[in-house]
Amino acid sequence: MLLDVQGIDVRYGRNHAVKSVDLTMDEREIVTVLGANGAGKSSLLKAIQGSEKSTGTVLFDGVDISGWSAPRRVNAGLVLVPEGRQIFVSMTVHENMQMGAYCRKDDVGAEIDEIYDRFPNLAARRDMPASVLSGGEQQMLAISRAMLAKPRLMMLDEPSLGLSPILVKQLFTLIEELNDGGLTILLIEQNTHMALQSADRGYVLELGDVVLLGDAKTLQEDSRLGEAYLGTH
Amino acid sequence: MLVIQQLVNGLMLGGVYVMVAVAFTLIIGMLNFLNFTIPALFMFAAVLMYATMMGHLPFGNDLILSIFGTEYRWVAGIIVALVVIALVSLVIERFTYRYMKAKYGDATEHALPLVSSLGFLIIFEHLVVSTWGSDPLTATSPFGQGTFSIDTIIFSVPQIVSLVLSLIVVVMLSVMLKATKLGRALRAIAERPDTAILMGVEVGRIVPVVYVITGLLCAVSGILFTINYATVDAYVGDTVATVAIAGMVLGGLGNVWGAIIGGLFIGMLEVMSIYIVGADFAKLPIWGLLLVLLVFKPTGLFGHTLIGKGKF
Repeated sequence: MLLDVQGIDVRYGRNHAVKSVDLTMDEREIVTVLGANGAGKSSLLKAIQGSEKSTGTVLFDGVDISGWSAPRRVNAGLVLVPEGRQIFVSMTVHENMQMGAYCRKDDVGAEIDEIYDRFPNLAARRDMPASVLSGGEQQMLAISRAMLAKPRLMMLDEPSLGLSPILVKQLFTLIEELNDGGLTILLIEQNTHMALQSADRGYVLELGDVVLLGDAKTLQEDSRLGEAYLGTH
Repeated sequence: MLVIQQLVNGLMLGGVYVMVAVAFTLIIGMLNFLNFTIPALFMFAAVLMYATMMGHLPFGNDLILSIFGTEYRWVAGIIVALVVIALVSLVIERFTYRYMKAKYGDATEHALPLVSSLGFLIIFEHLVVSTWGSDPLTATSPFGQGTFSIDTIIFSVPQIVSLVLSLIVVVMLSVMLKATKLGRALRAIAERPDTAILMGVEVGRIVPVVYVITGLLCAVSGILFTINYATVDAYVGDTVATVAIAGMVLGGLGNVWGAIIGGLFIGMLEVMSIYIVGADFAKLPIWGLLLVLLVFKPTGLFGHTLIGKGKF
């Protein structure tokens, strides 16, 4: 088991955003966390990443990392692609890539070149400010930046948000390719349909509780999934 | 020719302001608050330089004399000022950032660091007054009054050395920000601290580095001030601060090169105002110009509208 989250709790003052959630992931799995706005998905991801205060236990590759800082978790291979991409717009595309490799001491030149081969659009704008990139290109940059941290588990927070249907398709193709390359992926999505097509398993959150979990195929056919979104419980 | 001489003097004076203006702009750009400990550190470094050179430290004078002799006490002054300011900067970081940062929402993030830094300014001024008194403290310059002239324009050698040194320090800083890993991390923190953490940047460890860097900029500036102008007092920071803040605003908040050009320009403007309207009114043209500029171009000459968003 690569990730074993036990009884994670996140509170913002009186708001109990994540209520004792358990979640496990095997190596090379794609797991998706679904749910309506405010269900606690982002908070859960941030808690696993360590950038949000939480109680509970997080085991990563068998090691208890609950007390670790976020940067230390990044070094261990737990990398989050945040919602809204969060590109550094004051930096060039290339500098953004270098920031991705911040936690590494080895040479990443060859890996950056590979990324440029894969995304010619990024290569063409290498020395331009990242602010000139389109939404889709920014998402590619955000994922590339995360890849350069050499993740073992990549967490993506709503990567398809604001992208056109064609770009969403490309995005999910990329996610599957990365997974084929051996990467374990934890994915938060509003786009339930696409997410469940790519994922092996899914969790459905509602107001901080896991209300459904299981095989992606089974979940797709479960009528309660829609209810979790509409809040008709 | 007198006008040109005044411009040269102004440029030299601006050289002192440049580093202080850059220190202000770095903290504004990265941590989003106006740090009033900067003039305090400038003043404290200037006074320490004076006290070490003249043997007026509260303790350790004999030790310094026995190691450096009378001739090289200025070297001891530089070392004492730099080391003390670096250490003090680490203490200041705790009380203006670490214990304050976003603990109780927005107010603590922006207002409390400023108030806390203002407290430090007052504490340091009183510390200096109670130790050395409030009268002007006069040092003898270790370099005498070396001058040379081109045509009829007189240049003071220490001043030229100071100006060149200021520019070298600031250029190095600018290269560091642009081309090194630390520089990228600093810019990342300035733009998106929360995302910088996701890249593995230990923000809590890097912010003290910023404080030490800005502290040392102030220290170098204060040391050069004592060497050049020989007379310091507990309130010399106030004057330099207001002028450096003017320079920083003129150049655009959070813009390093803007602070440099702003600082030099304000230095020249000040000397020219003294020359034209007299010392009593010299501040009026500076702040008058600044008010007009702020109305028509609040971003300054080179600044962005978004403070804390990508300026270096």
